[in-house]
Amino acid sequence: MLSTHELSCQRGRQQLWSHLNLSIAPGEIAFIKGANGSGKSSLLRILAGLSSPYDGEICWHGHDIRKCSDTYRAELLYIGHQTPLKHELSAIENLLSLTQLHGLQASLEEITKALSIWELQGKTIGLATKQLSQGQKQRVSLAQLSLLKKSVWILDEPFNSLDAAGSRILSQHLEEHLLTHKKMVVITSHVHENAAQIAASLSQIEQLIQF
Amino acid sequence: MMHTISSSAILLAIIRRDLTLALRRGSDTCGAIFFFVLVVSLFPLALGSETKLLQQIAPGVIWVAALLAVMLSLSRLFNDDFQDGVLEQLALSKCPLELIVFAKTIAHWCYTGCVLLLLSPILALQFNLPSQSIEVLFLALLIGTPCLSSIGSIGAALTVGIKSSGALISLLILPLLIPVLILGTLAVDAATNDLPYWLYLYLLIAMSLLASFFAPLASAAALRIVLD
Repeated sequence: MLSTHELSCQRGRQQLWSHLNLSIAPGEIAFIKGANGSGKSSLLRILAGLSSPYDGEICWHGHDIRKCSDTYRAELLYIGHQTPLKHELSAIENLLSLTQLHGLQASLEEITKALSIWELQGKTIGLATKQLSQGQKQRVSLAQLSLLKKSVWILDEPFNSLDAAGSRILSQHLEEHLLTHKKMVVITSHVHENAAQIAASLSQIEQLIQF
Repeated sequence: MMHTISSSAILLAIIRRDLTLALRRGSDTCGAIFFFVLVVSLFPLALGSETKLLQQIAPGVIWVAALLAVMLSLSRLFNDDFQDGVLEQLALSKCPLELIVFAKTIAHWCYTGCVLLLLSPILALQFNLPSQSIEVLFLALLIGTPCLSSIGSIGAALTVGIKSSGALISLLILPLLIPVLILGTLAVDAATNDLPYWLYLYLLIAMSLLASFFAPLASAAALRIVLD
């Protein structure tokens, strides 16, 4: 259970948003909509514990995440708007080092399998990632979803630069994560079709936050 | 099924990743090394073959060149990870950011300080240094270069996200590194003049140990502020 109490965010002197009370129970998704610059990414970074809020607190199972950051981080997968990939390394090497950061050692088969779920196989996964297209990079980065078993996914614009097939795979992942595994998701997207797509696949969006 | 790995295994993985990256970016990594070799080799050519003079300036020239070469390579230490979003993942890792910074500093030493160190005896030959002085120079660099990398990491962390941060890092960090420079050259000078040099090396060891303990704490704090 992830909840926020009277959360507010300030950038410079500008108050972006305030008094945000949000609670996400197992099996629920919070879908955050808003115009560019309205503070969607700031909210996700605060929820991930990367930035500190101007005011208010975030609780994980009732405890402030600043006090239980180790247990919270062990359950958290945050993928920001950038693809956290090293251009000189291949898709396989990148995923290997990303999973190692979470304290897990994945075998080559597991990584290849995760990449093949995202329809990346053959030569592509051995190439340096700078040779991949933006959409392919996004798929490599999202392959972490298949690889790491985390309870909370915080995804910033994950549909960006994905094609129709890629979006479908992502929606399937979200559906499985929420409906089968009863885990939690916080997601932003400025593309309305994706909202509609998720809504269709989940039959309802549990929480829609509009800035 | 994936198995969990300990914090030390995570740190080893980070060192290995940074070394792989340094190898694949060959030209960037070699830049600092070439700079060191060129600067040190040009002095004997320009100053002629007067043995006494060369022996006197050798420790200073080699230490100054090593210092500047390390400065040159620092700007990319955290900046690349910041630009591609990997820094966020490092900050969210199971392993504390302080230890990750420590691992990255070790990797940085391996592809700069350690290489300079291995090249230094060959370069010192051009200055006609006696063999004992070369040994002491090697020892002083072995002890001093980790200090350069760790104190340098504070500068690199403070200037993350700033374009062309090289000059700023030098301004911030050079004053802090001057004691290392002085002790390093004094040790070699003492060896050349048959004076006891251990005192200087002991002081260098103390500085290196202190720096490698406190610098990661400061760098990690700076990185957290940058990410906030």
